[in-house]
Amino acid sequence: MKKIIVLQLLFFTIAIIAQENDNIVVGFESNSQYYIDDKKTGDFTEPNRFRSNNYLKVDYSISKFSFGIQVEGYEPMSLLNYSPDFNTTNIALYYAKYASKKIEATAGYFYEQYGSGLILRSWEDRQLGINNALRGGRIKFFPTENITLSALYGNQRSGFDVSDANIYGFNSEVNISSILKANSWNLDLGLSYVGRKEEKNTTDFNFNDLTNAFSSRLDFSKNNFYSSAEFVSKSDDAVIIFNEIRNAKPGSAFLFDVGYGKKGFGINANFRRIENMTFYSQRSATGNIYNENIINYIPALTKQHDYLLTNIYVYQAQPQISFQDFELLKIGEIGGQVDLFYTLKKKTSLGGKYGTKIALNMSYWAGLSGEYDYLNFEYDSDLLSFGEKYFSDISLEIRKKWSSEWSSVFYYVNQYYNKRYVEETFGNVKTDIFVSESTYKLGAGKSLRFEAQHLWSKDDKKNWAGGTLEFNLNSRFAVYVNDIYNYGNDNKTKRIHYYNFGSSYTKGAKRFALNYGRQRGGLICIGGVCRFVPESTGLTANIVLSF
Amino acid sequence: MKQSLFLCCLIFSTVAFSQKKIPNSTLRTLDGKFVNIQDEISNDKITVLSFWATWCVPCINELDAISEVYDDWQESTNMELIAISTDDSRTQKRIRPMISGKSWPYKILLDKNQELKRALNISTIPQTFILKGSKIIYIHSGYTPGVEDELFEIIQKHKN
Repeated sequence: MKKIIVLQLLFFTIAIIAQENDNIVVGFESNSQYYIDDKKTGDFTEPNRFRSNNYLKVDYSISKFSFGIQVEGYEPMSLLNYSPDFNTTNIALYYAKYASKKIEATAGYFYEQYGSGLILRSWEDRQLGINNALRGGRIKFFPTENITLSALYGNQRSGFDVSDANIYGFNSEVNISSILKANSWNLDLGLSYVGRKEEKNTTDFNFNDLTNAFSSRLDFSKNNFYSSAEFVSKSDDAVIIFNEIRNAKPGSAFLFDVGYGKKGFGINANFRRIENMTFYSQRSATGNIYNENIINYIPALTKQHDYLLTNIYVYQAQPQISFQDFELLKIGEIGGQVDLFYTLKKKTSLGGKYGTKIALNMSYWAGLSGEYDYLNFEYDSDLLSFGEKYFSDISLEIRKKWSSEWSSVFYYVNQYYNKRYVEETFGNVKTDIFVSESTYKLGAGKSLRFEAQHLWSKDDKKNWAGGTLEFNLNSRFAVYVNDIYNYGNDNKTKRIHYYNFGSSYTKGAKRFALNYGRQRGGLICIGGVCRFVPESTGLTANIVLSF
Repeated sequence: MKQSLFLCCLIFSTVAFSQKKIPNSTLRTLDGKFVNIQDEISNDKITVLSFWATWCVPCINELDAISEVYDDWQESTNMELIAISTDDSRTQKRIRPMISGKSWPYKILLDKNQELKRALNISTIPQTFILKGSKIIYIHSGYTPGVEDELFEIIQKHKN
């Protein structure tokens, strides 16, 4: 009650002092669902059929100062399979910040990322239920245009609280080529440190309260060519398997990237090896299914597909140690991907009147080979050799505009998904997926879009077919219907249609969407981080407002 | 009581304020240099900020569509489009080859950990802002074919 009064006072104060040269941004987002019983997939057996996640964020800036607050409300409960720590309505985040050309200082909650995030990334993803902001203080210092230094101290958010471990961070970025007054090439150097201090409650195993992680990075570019490398190491830390500390081992990562681009053509390749690189703000949170207490970000370096059937077998990076049985032994991953983009020129035989755009991606990931001692949770890994294959993916996308009204996208994907190793269950899956999408402009802002998809597989749940039909009445109002159907499933009762239909209305920064349908159970993955959701059926409403 | 907290703040905020400017935020260039978004926006022309990502199909449809008419837009209105990538490190390395391969003519800036995206309360992409100087005059989220024509009408209406 007191908090509510404080908050209301704050709003009134802001309104009174609001002046010409200040700025206020208010954002509100609400995602609700009403779950119903489903004859095909079963009754809804959890408490509270109606659930709702709500976020209200206010940012106020005046001159060099800015202040903000975020209130979150999960009423009467959070949506299915969000962390049980999101269980009330309360102030979730707040900050005060001062920023000038030379210095930036933040107190309260803040988000941060060092390099590509391999040792530190705090961010928010409401769809995934991730908010691992740090609460404490941060100072950034820009002594010259070419040098950035920053330091932070804090505790990591977990639910509406913070976890016990203290997090220390230091980051520096230097543009070496500018210091050397080189114009024809560019070279950046980045050095970072992250420390996590959490009391160890055991005298067994050789690791300390303080775990240190270092990252060093180089980014180079010259004309159309560019390349980057990152080396990461983490000091000896507890290895937790089956909820107990079994050993203490160091972690490491190496990431290399190279690319070339010119008008109409671009290519990029990356390679990464990671070993024992999970990093949590609470050791006992290792491997938790709600993605809480994550300090670093290790995305799967594979293509992020955007169609329903291409997102059934999604690879997740495997940085963790897992000793499930005599054969299922994991300590990391090794692999890479290649991307190629090409435009066939206009007015050529292959390009046609409007040109044709092609994108190709290939990725391959495997476990680390080495000597494993299952009984003692001990291992010795090889540096650069590939072990068990975890995943491969080849995708080809062709975009073609036929006339000023018609355009199409053709998409083919071939995947290998080692379900036993990635999900630690059974089997492996080979798939071929084909998607064809066409859009027809009807004029006056009206358009029709349809998608046909098919997944062929002799494994797991076998064949799927799917389709989408979307009608845009104008730029603001759209209705759609889609369905994916697992018609090939060996178990006839599992031959289920996962259908959805709904509409959305958008005006400016306001968006309202209603959806009714059956959700396929499985992993929802955004940016390589996945959240498991069970099958569910119901009515969903999303509201986004910004002022 | 708790629900009333939300409602009260919400109603009050709606009445009291309206969004005016692009907030102060640091982005990066493709070369990794830090730039302030406010320094990138020219005071004497119309700027279109388009928030996109390499994995977002409608975003790419929008930027592909605008790239075909971009020369005409620039000739008749002295405008500039800045495409702000919200890709995180999973897909960031795909940005350069993609814009080369697609021959997009835009200035590209990176919102690596989505600070500006958060500051503007963007929850879905694509989201497009039209600015006159640093003042926001129009916002549109989502892409449906033909939206580019509407954007151009607004740009023309506000050109100097």
